[in-house]
Amino acid sequence: MTGDRPLGLVLLEMILLVLLGPLVTGAIQKLKARLQCRQGADVLQPYRDLAKLLRKGTVQADTASGFFRSIPVLVLAATVAAGALVPVLRAGPSAFPLGDALMLLGLLALARFLTAVGALDAGGAFGGMGASREMTIAPLVEPVLMMVVFSTALAAGTTELGALAAHRGTSWIFAWSAADFLGFAAMLVLLPAETGRIPVDNPDTHLELTMLHEGMLLEHSGPGLGCMLLASHTRQIVTLGLVAALFFPVGPADGIGAADLLLGAGAFAAKILVLATYLALVESSYAKLRLFRVPQYLGIGFVCALTALALRIL
Amino acid sequence: MAETLLWVLPLVPTVTALAMLTTRKRRILSGLDVGGSTVLAALTFVLAREVSAGGPRSLGVFRVDELGLVFLLLLVVLTLAVSIYTVGWLKQAVAVGNMKAESLRSYFALVHAFVATMVVTILADNLGVLWIAMEGTTITSAVLIGYHGHRHGLEAAWKYIIVTTIGISFGLFGTVLIYAAAADVMGGAGAMSWSAIMQVAPALDPGIVRIGFIFVMVGYGTKAGLAPMHLWLPDAHSQAPTPVSALLSGVLIKCALLAIIRFQTIAAAACGAAFPQQVLLVFGLISVVVATPFILAQRDIKRLLGYHSVEHVGIVVLGLGFGGAIGTYGALLHVVNHGVTKALAFFAAGTAIARYGSRDMRAIRGLFAVAPIGATFLMLAALSLAGVPPFSIFVSELMVLRAGIGHGHWVAIAIFLAMVVIIFAGLLHHAGAMVFGEPRGAGRKAEAWSPLLAMLLLAAIMVLLGLTIPVSFDTLLRRATEVVVG
Amino acid sequence: MSAETIQTIIDDLGALLLFTMILIVAASQISRAIYAVAAQSLFIAIAGAVLATATGNVDLWVIAGVTLAVKATLLPWVLHWVVRRMNVRREVEPVIPIAATLVLAVAVVVMSFHLSASLGSVRQAITGNALPVGIALTLTGVLVMATRKTALSQMVGLFASENGIFFTAMAVTQGMPLIIEIGVILDVILAALVMTIMVLRVRSTVDADIAELDRLRG
Repeated sequence: MTGDRPLGLVLLEMILLVLLGPLVTGAIQKLKARLQCRQGADVLQPYRDLAKLLRKGTVQADTASGFFRSIPVLVLAATVAAGALVPVLRAGPSAFPLGDALMLLGLLALARFLTAVGALDAGGAFGGMGASREMTIAPLVEPVLMMVVFSTALAAGTTELGALAAHRGTSWIFAWSAADFLGFAAMLVLLPAETGRIPVDNPDTHLELTMLHEGMLLEHSGPGLGCMLLASHTRQIVTLGLVAALFFPVGPADGIGAADLLLGAGAFAAKILVLATYLALVESSYAKLRLFRVPQYLGIGFVCALTALALRIL
Repeated sequence: MAETLLWVLPLVPTVTALAMLTTRKRRILSGLDVGGSTVLAALTFVLAREVSAGGPRSLGVFRVDELGLVFLLLLVVLTLAVSIYTVGWLKQAVAVGNMKAESLRSYFALVHAFVATMVVTILADNLGVLWIAMEGTTITSAVLIGYHGHRHGLEAAWKYIIVTTIGISFGLFGTVLIYAAAADVMGGAGAMSWSAIMQVAPALDPGIVRIGFIFVMVGYGTKAGLAPMHLWLPDAHSQAPTPVSALLSGVLIKCALLAIIRFQTIAAAACGAAFPQQVLLVFGLISVVVATPFILAQRDIKRLLGYHSVEHVGIVVLGLGFGGAIGTYGALLHVVNHGVTKALAFFAAGTAIARYGSRDMRAIRGLFAVAPIGATFLMLAALSLAGVPPFSIFVSELMVLRAGIGHGHWVAIAIFLAMVVIIFAGLLHHAGAMVFGEPRGAGRKAEAWSPLLAMLLLAAIMVLLGLTIPVSFDTLLRRATEVVVG
Repeated sequence: MSAETIQTIIDDLGALLLFTMILIVAASQISRAIYAVAAQSLFIAIAGAVLATATGNVDLWVIAGVTLAVKATLLPWVLHWVVRRMNVRREVEPVIPIAATLVLAVAVVVMSFHLSASLGSVRQAITGNALPVGIALTLTGVLVMATRKTALSQMVGLFASENGIFFTAMAVTQGMPLIIEIGVILDVILAALVMTIMVLRVRSTVDADIAELDRLRG
C-alpha cells in the first residue's frame, strides 16, 4: 500500500484531479436536483460550460489593470499545483520533495487571495463586497484546516500528505483515536466553507447579496472565467482528496501495475463520491446562514479542531 | 439499642410526614408536627447518651460519632422549636392568606421530609448516600422556598435549585475522585465508607485527593453558603416561609459544613493538614469580607439575616481553617451557637413582619411598645448576632480569634476583626431603630404564645451557652474536635 | 476484548461526548441542544455497556439501561414536550455571544486536560482519557448554565454537567456501587421534575420565563 510515488505518477494524479473536478461538481448538482425531486442538468454539464466559455471572447472593465488578465491563470496554476500534492492513486511519499500539507493549504490560500485581489482590481461594487466577505471567512477556515492537519500529523510525525496516508494504513477505522473523531467533525464542518457551498455560500445563485465566491467572479469573462471555474472545481476535489488522505486512506494502490492503479482510482472515486454525497445532503437540508452567523457555525469547527489538537498533545 | 436507633431516627420524621398527609385539620397537623419533633428529639437524646458512654456506633451505611452528634442535636432542637413556633405562626399566616388552608398538609409533610433528609445527611457514613440525601434536601427545600407561590418566591426557588444542584454536582465529582483514590488503595470494597477511607487515608494519592477536595469545597460550599457561591442564599432564605428560613439558616447550611468537615479530615490525612486549612481559610475570609457591605446596605430584614448567615458560615470555616484544637472547637461551638441564635432571630423577625405586614426594616418601628416580649427577643438576637457578651456567639467568636492569633494568621485576624466591628455597628443601628421609637403601622394584637415559647426556649439555650458550657456538652465537643483534628 | 481496546473505545466515546458538548454550547435553538444532550446520554449508555462487557459487572448493565431509558429518552422527551406545549421561545438566549462562549469552552477543555495531566502516572493507570473529558464536560455544562437566560437551556446545561460526572464515575472507578448510581439518577429525575413544574407554574401565572425573573437584587 505504500511506496514512493515517482514523478510520472504525481503528474498523472494531478491531471486526473483536474479532469475529474468538474465531474464531481456535476455529480453534486445532479444529486441535489434529485433530492429536490427534479431532473437536474446532466452530470457532464460543467464540461460543456467550460468548453463554451473557452470559445467566447473576453470583456474587461476599463478600471481593471493589466494584472487582472493574468489572475485567472495564476489562480488555476496555484490550485492545480495544490492538486499535485494530494495522494490519489497511491499512498506514500513522493519520490522527490514536492511539498507537504501546509504547502497545499498555502497554495489554496494563495488562490483565494489572488481571486480577491482580482475582484478588487476590477473596481466593481459586487467584487468588493464578495472579496470582503470571502476574506471574513478565510481567517476562520484556514487556521482550523491547519490545526486538523497538525493533529493528524502529530501522530504520524510528518506533514507530507503521502507519508501521512501511508502511516495510517489500511486499518483506518480501528486506528482512529479520539482526536481523529473530533478532527473529522471539524473537517465536516469546514467542507462547505472551503468548497463554497450552503450553509456558508450559495454556489447556484447570482444575486449580489447572497454570494461570496460568485461575487468575486463577476468581472471575469470568457476563457478567464473558464479558468476560474475550473480552479474552483479543482479546489473542491483537492479539498475532498485532502480529507480522504487524512482520514481514510484505504485503498491506495500497491504496485505500479495498471490493475493496482485502477484499483486505487476506484477507491479514490468511491471516497470522493461519499464526501460529495455528504455535501449534497447538507446543501439540500439547510438554508444559507446569514453572514454574521457564519463565524458561529465555523466556531464549532474551530473548537472541534482545537480539542482534537489538545487531545493529541496532552 | 443504639444501632437500631440509627435507622429509626430517619424513619421518625418520614413517618410523621406520611401521617401528615392523612388529615386536613390544622390543629391535628400542628399536633402531629410537635409530637413528631418531640419524639425525634427524645430519641436523639437517648442516642446521645449511648454514644457519650460507649463511643461511635454504626449500622450499614449509617454511623454516628461525636462529630455527627453535635449537628444532630442542633437539628432536633431546632426542629422542635420550629414546630412549636409554627403553631402560632400558621394561624396568623392562614388568616392573612399567605398560606392556603387546603395545602397545609403538604407543607407539613414537606417540612418533615426535609428534616428526614437532613437526618440522613448527618448520619450517613457512605459518601454516596450523603450526596443523595443532600440532593434530597435541595429538592424538598426548593419546593418549600417557593411555597407561598408568588413570583419572588418562585424566582428565589429557581435560583436556589439551579445553583445548589450545580454546586453539589461538583461535590459529587469530588466524591467520585476520592472514591477512585480510595478504591485504588482498598480495592473497591467499602471504598465509599468514610470510616473505612479514614483508616487508609494516609495511603491515598495526594494529587487526586487534592483535586477532589477542591471540587468538594466548591460543591458543598455552595450548599453551605460560602462566598463566592452564596448568591442564592439571601434570596432563598428571605423568600421562604419563616419557619423554613429558620431551618435553612440554622441547620441545612450546617449539614453542608459537616460534609466539608468529613472531606477535610480525609484530605488532612492524605495531603497533610496544611492544604485543606489553606483552602478553608481563603473561602472563610472571602465570605466574611463579601457579606459585610451587603449587611450594611440591607433594607429587607430577612435578607439581612441571610447575609448574616453567609458571614457566620465564613467564621466557622475560618475557625476550621485556623485549625488546631481551639480553632476546631470554636468552629463547632459556633455551628451550634449560630444555629440557635439565627433561628431565634428569624422567629422574632417573623412575628414582627406579621405584625407590620412588611419586610422592610424602615417600616418596622417601635416594636417595643406593641409587643414587648417579642421586641426583647429581637434585641437579644441582634445583640447576640453582633457578638456581644454574655451571649453564645461571643464565646465561639473569641475562640476562633484565639486560634487565629495562636497560629499567627495576623492578616486574617485583622480583616476578621474589622468586619466584625463594622457589622456590630450596623446591626445595632438596625435593631435599635426597629425596637425603639413610636410604633407606626403596627397591628395591636396580643402576642401569640407559641412563637414566644419557641423563642424563649432558644433564647435560654443561647444565654446558657454564653455563660457556661455544660460539662456533658463540653465533653461532646472535645471528642468531636478529636475526630476532626486527629 | 483486551484492556487496550476498551481504553480506545472509551477514549473514542469521550471524543464523541466532547463533540456533543460543543454542539450544546453552539446550539442556537433549544431543540437542537436537547437533541445533543440526548445523544450525549446515549453515548454514555454505550460506554456503560462496553465497560459492562469488559468487566463482567452486572451492575453496569443496569446502569447503562437506566441511563438509556431515563436520560437519553425520558428526560429529553419531557423537555421537548415543554417546548412544544408551552410555547416557549425557541431561541437560546445567551448572556454573552455564542462565539465568546465557544472560546470559553475551549479554554475549559484545555484547562481540564492540563489539570489531569498534572496528576501524572496515577491518572494514566486509573483513567486514561476519561478524567479530563469528564472534568471538561462538567465544567462546560456549568458554563452553559451560567451563560443562558432561558430556564430550559439552563436545565440542558445541568443534564450535560451530570453526564460528565457520570462518565467520569463509570470510567474512572469502573462503576460506583449500584445503589449510589441509581440514587443519583433518581435524584436527577426528581430535580428535573421539580424544575419543570416550576417552569410551567411561572409560565402559566406570570407568562415569563422563570430564569428571567430578576427582581431580587442587592
